[in-house]
Amino acid sequence: MSTPTRTGTTVSMTVNGEQVDRHVDPRRTLSDFLRRDCGATGVHLGCEHGVCGACTVLLDGRTARSCCTLAVQAEGADITTVEGMADGAELHPLQEAFWKHHGLQCGFCTPGILLTVQELLADNPDPSDAEIREGISGNICRCTGYQFIVDAVREAAAVLREEKTAEVE
Amino acid sequence: MKPAPFDHVRASTLDHAVETLVAEDGDAKVLAGGQSLVPLLAMRLAQPTTLVDLGGLRELDYIRDDGTHLEIGAMTRSRAVEKSRLVGEALPLLPAALRHVGHVTIRNRGTLGGSVAHADPAAEAPSVLRALDAEIIATGPGGRRTIAAADFFQGFLVSALEPEEILTAIRIPKQAAGSVVAVEEFTRRHGDFALVAVLGAARLDPAGEIAEVRLSVAGAANTPLRADAAEDLLVGQAPTPDVVAAAATAVAEATDPGGDIHAPAEYRRHLAAVLTRRCLHRLFTHAERSAAA
Amino acid sequence: MTQQEVPPGLIGARVRRKEDPRLLTGRAQFVDDVVLPGMLEAAVLRSPHPHARILSIDVSAALELPGVFAVLTGEDVRAACATPQPVVWRMIPDQRMTDQYALAVDKVRYVGQAVAVVAAVDRYVAEDALGLVEVEYEVLQPVVTLDDALAEGAPLLYEEWPDNVSCRQTIPKGDAAAAFAEADVVVTETLSYGRQMGTPLETRGAVMSWDPFTDQLEGWMSTQSPNLTRDLLGEVLGLPVDHIRVRTPHVGGGFGNKFDFYGEEVLAALLSKRTGRPVKVIEDRLESFVANAHSREQRIEVSVAAKSDGTIIGMRGTVWAVLGGQLATVGIGPCWLSMALMAGPYDIPNVEATVVGVVTNRSPYGSYRGWGQPKANFAHERIIDKLAHELGMPPNEVRRRNLIASDKFPYPSQVFFYDSGNYAECLDMAEQAVADRGWAKRRDAAAEEGRSLGIGYSFHIEISALGPSKIMNQAGLQHSSFDEEVVRIDSAGGVTVRTGLSAMGQGIETALAQVAAQTLGVPLDTVKVLHGDTETNPFTGYGTGASRGAALGGGALLRASTRLRDKVLRIAAHILEASAEDLEITDGVVTVKGTPGGPSVTMRQIGDAAYRRLDGKLPDGEDPTLEERDVLDPDNVAFSYGTTAVLAEVDRETGRVELLDYLLAHDCGTVINPMIVDGQIHGGATQGIGGALFEEIVYSPEGQPLTTTFMDYLIPTASEIPTFETLHMATTADHIPGGFKGMGEAGTIGAASAITAAIENAVPDLDLRLNRLPVTPPRLLDALTTATPKDPS
Repeated sequence: MSTPTRTGTTVSMTVNGEQVDRHVDPRRTLSDFLRRDCGATGVHLGCEHGVCGACTVLLDGRTARSCCTLAVQAEGADITTVEGMADGAELHPLQEAFWKHHGLQCGFCTPGILLTVQELLADNPDPSDAEIREGISGNICRCTGYQFIVDAVREAAAVLREEKTAEVE
Repeated sequence: MKPAPFDHVRASTLDHAVETLVAEDGDAKVLAGGQSLVPLLAMRLAQPTTLVDLGGLRELDYIRDDGTHLEIGAMTRSRAVEKSRLVGEALPLLPAALRHVGHVTIRNRGTLGGSVAHADPAAEAPSVLRALDAEIIATGPGGRRTIAAADFFQGFLVSALEPEEILTAIRIPKQAAGSVVAVEEFTRRHGDFALVAVLGAARLDPAGEIAEVRLSVAGAANTPLRADAAEDLLVGQAPTPDVVAAAATAVAEATDPGGDIHAPAEYRRHLAAVLTRRCLHRLFTHAERSAAA
Repeated sequence: MTQQEVPPGLIGARVRRKEDPRLLTGRAQFVDDVVLPGMLEAAVLRSPHPHARILSIDVSAALELPGVFAVLTGEDVRAACATPQPVVWRMIPDQRMTDQYALAVDKVRYVGQAVAVVAAVDRYVAEDALGLVEVEYEVLQPVVTLDDALAEGAPLLYEEWPDNVSCRQTIPKGDAAAAFAEADVVVTETLSYGRQMGTPLETRGAVMSWDPFTDQLEGWMSTQSPNLTRDLLGEVLGLPVDHIRVRTPHVGGGFGNKFDFYGEEVLAALLSKRTGRPVKVIEDRLESFVANAHSREQRIEVSVAAKSDGTIIGMRGTVWAVLGGQLATVGIGPCWLSMALMAGPYDIPNVEATVVGVVTNRSPYGSYRGWGQPKANFAHERIIDKLAHELGMPPNEVRRRNLIASDKFPYPSQVFFYDSGNYAECLDMAEQAVADRGWAKRRDAAAEEGRSLGIGYSFHIEISALGPSKIMNQAGLQHSSFDEEVVRIDSAGGVTVRTGLSAMGQGIETALAQVAAQTLGVPLDTVKVLHGDTETNPFTGYGTGASRGAALGGGALLRASTRLRDKVLRIAAHILEASAEDLEITDGVVTVKGTPGGPSVTMRQIGDAAYRRLDGKLPDGEDPTLEERDVLDPDNVAFSYGTTAVLAEVDRETGRVELLDYLLAHDCGTVINPMIVDGQIHGGATQGIGGALFEEIVYSPEGQPLTTTFMDYLIPTASEIPTFETLHMATTADHIPGGFKGMGEAGTIGAASAITAAIENAVPDLDLRLNRLPVTPPRLLDALTTATPKDPS
């Protein structure tokens, strides 16, 4: 887009396993970059000021608010969005659990919550309900009242623990 | 909510960063993790001509032990500080406080230096620095200088940093062995900025009297507060409810809170007293338990 | 009336939602995901003043900015529009209307009112251009609060009016004056409900594309009411509706905020007409707090007259509606409903309730889940609690004494006929559950430790299945309120349902699919539900709101599917050479009843017989194809109801309230999907909790909105929300096919009443009366500090 920028910069990063090199306006947020320039429209914009968590992505394996990150700050990073969660046509166990437990209604917050929970369970594979609630407290859901999300996370954690045990064995 | 145009300079060295700041003559801003700055850009409340991005300066991402102090590079992510075993052992108050900073996602990106430089009086890191008598290291065109935390925080979002200076590290004296810590924070929702937070560290002597206590308060003035008067009341005393109550009153008296839509000033002052009492209660209970064990 | 009996099957099953896989994988399309070739993006310049006259607007510098394609001002919009922004609810015939356009003309009346709009190459440049539009204002004295607006000599928002009152109406039932004269006890309360809004996580937005050669307008909009929107766009733009196509992708939450018809859609259309390119306008979060309809804020004066045994014989109330600087699409609607439902579930023979609509320099007042009902509930439940306190009776005893008895339905209230219910049983169910869960023991044990726990209840009713179109028209609605559904079996036996309802998270695809699948006897995964396009889908009156989708859409679809099933059976009977009455359909296979393994016909064969190879299979006299449509315009609305019970802990030193447990006993007639119903109740309750304890749109004394971010408008997170439990009973709506009632708003209605009651119950030593929402920590601490200790005797 022909924006009147003062300087343009080329950024390179990996988005869901694909190498992306683009010329960007320095003011372009990572969220706009992912949505518009990379087609990752599963990154949702709920507030653009770092409170609601809908735009959460994984940046080098850790969650980041893509609305509070400039695209130029992600130079060289490895980005995963919700589009990168499923394995081919197979839903990730977290996605499966959210489906089973009705952990989403309008689904707008869901991508951010899924990625946040993925990190939470990597850090703490067997969280208590209070820890789950704390873990997703940076993600606003206006629909569900959170309870079915907590149920889904609890079950997904168990499934992921079993998968891990099975791998070890 | 899209930022106004700016130039972006990815600093290749610290000198490069400082040179750019000098060249931009006050119209540039330093970009660390961006967790506070990028929303301000998006709201166009900040409209710098240039952002000096420290993201590539790996040399500012470190935690070093020099025997008496820990020195933490400004670009060390909050989450890394919080998870550091070294920090947990030498400065237990710091991770205890950082766990209250926003959410994990914010702490993954936010840096300790960025939080301190932002000088928000309701934020946790500045109050830890006040409680632990930390030093802030700034680098500018004239080289490095060290600023005591007591002198660094000068007002709401105002620090002692000059426009051409960059906060490069924080140096914190290690807490004495046997120190216990407690953070009592009151937020409307989990992860929000504190209405008031009281951060404390303490040590009892073998007789059960208070050998050392450090207290600071976030959100109760236009800078983070060190509760010197309350500390003076406590040191050398047995931790009785009366002493604790007197300290809580002293803390409340030392506050100078503002009022906003979330709470009037009087409420914040009241909270400072309540949270001080709860913080001290936890500290001393914890200390007595450690002593017994 | 016939008793509704739905046999067990997919209706009533906890099936997974059909819409979820695409939502879970990021593949669902929301309006901001729509990108068209050559598309421009718009940004709106908004008034920084609550009340000012526009002296001049200079857009020349903005137009010169590279990348800017067009700038419109109020004069442009007025010249291009056939009518002002419409108001569809006009209950009060002599109401003074505000007649405003999508951009302000002459005067601004709230901070955030749209003044100019820019279309540019992208949103970044559009926002750059906003800074270059020069507006000269003459600042006027603002009218910020209700009292400011009603004050003697107050500045007038509309200089042609005698005062700031837009409307006033009193609806009586019986003789309230006589009841108050003969009462043993009269209690009175004045309540304040804070200003709040729906705040869907996806902000509002539209992409509009106007073909200048054919005057065809194609729009993608995040709206709950696609058909209403199309009709209103037609009125405002002066276009025949067949020139307008409204597409509704996935809606990222609506909650009433996206029911209303806003000016931005009109602006995007006009910009598209001006530039010849598609134009997208997406509201950002800061704008959303001033440009979206606000809701809830009212002052309510309520009093009841009772006998000493607790029987209520009369009620009086006045709803002071704190409207904004202009009327929103629903006008006085929500506040009128607060007045009309003020007696709630109680059998009160004499009622006199009044609504007064007052304009202020705040954002317009519109729809938010619950509409007027949370306020009506707060009025009747608070006054019940106060009466109980006055009489020294347990509040639920007072409730029980006054709840409408099950044999009194249909019950004529002040305005509505309540269709059915078994209210006392629902209250019993909740009380029993609370007893079984040992809440009172928990409260008492905590008290021993010096902690303050309390139990609170509320009883709510919810108007749903809106409604009979002609009666709604008589009530002032400038639109219909029926629902039309179409169901088709294709040539391969697959089922397609077409609906005019929007998918906004409420699971309408799944619920309608369950109704069709069960009625037709086919597997759920062979049913597809299409929505979100006015060009190809049927007409739904009103929109996806007022808890009407599942009830009316489900009812219409049930009837259509039943007729389609009859046709399937006739064709199958012909093929099987059997009598249609002897056939049954299970899992998409038609067989003769009681002959397992016998001759059968699959749905695929039926499809083939109706569309492709008809000869010998399609009975003579049957038309080819398999399609039915149905329109449900019900005889009456349907009332759901429920009891909310809350266990809360109060921190008496800080005024913080923590909700420890929360349950809702509920009745919405026949349940289509219990999992979805529970989810709706949880979500509604969470919004109710937000309104009770956290959320408030605050204005400064100068009229500046102070809550324009998610840091300041406090939507509760998972850490503030308790675990919910729901209990269900089913009293069917006998006038709705299937017996469905709606329940989308249930959770929001009774939350604040139960929570305030629980807080009061937690401090039995204090005469604490909470009358202002939300109950924030500073407010509660203040109330605890100033409350009178109760006489220990």
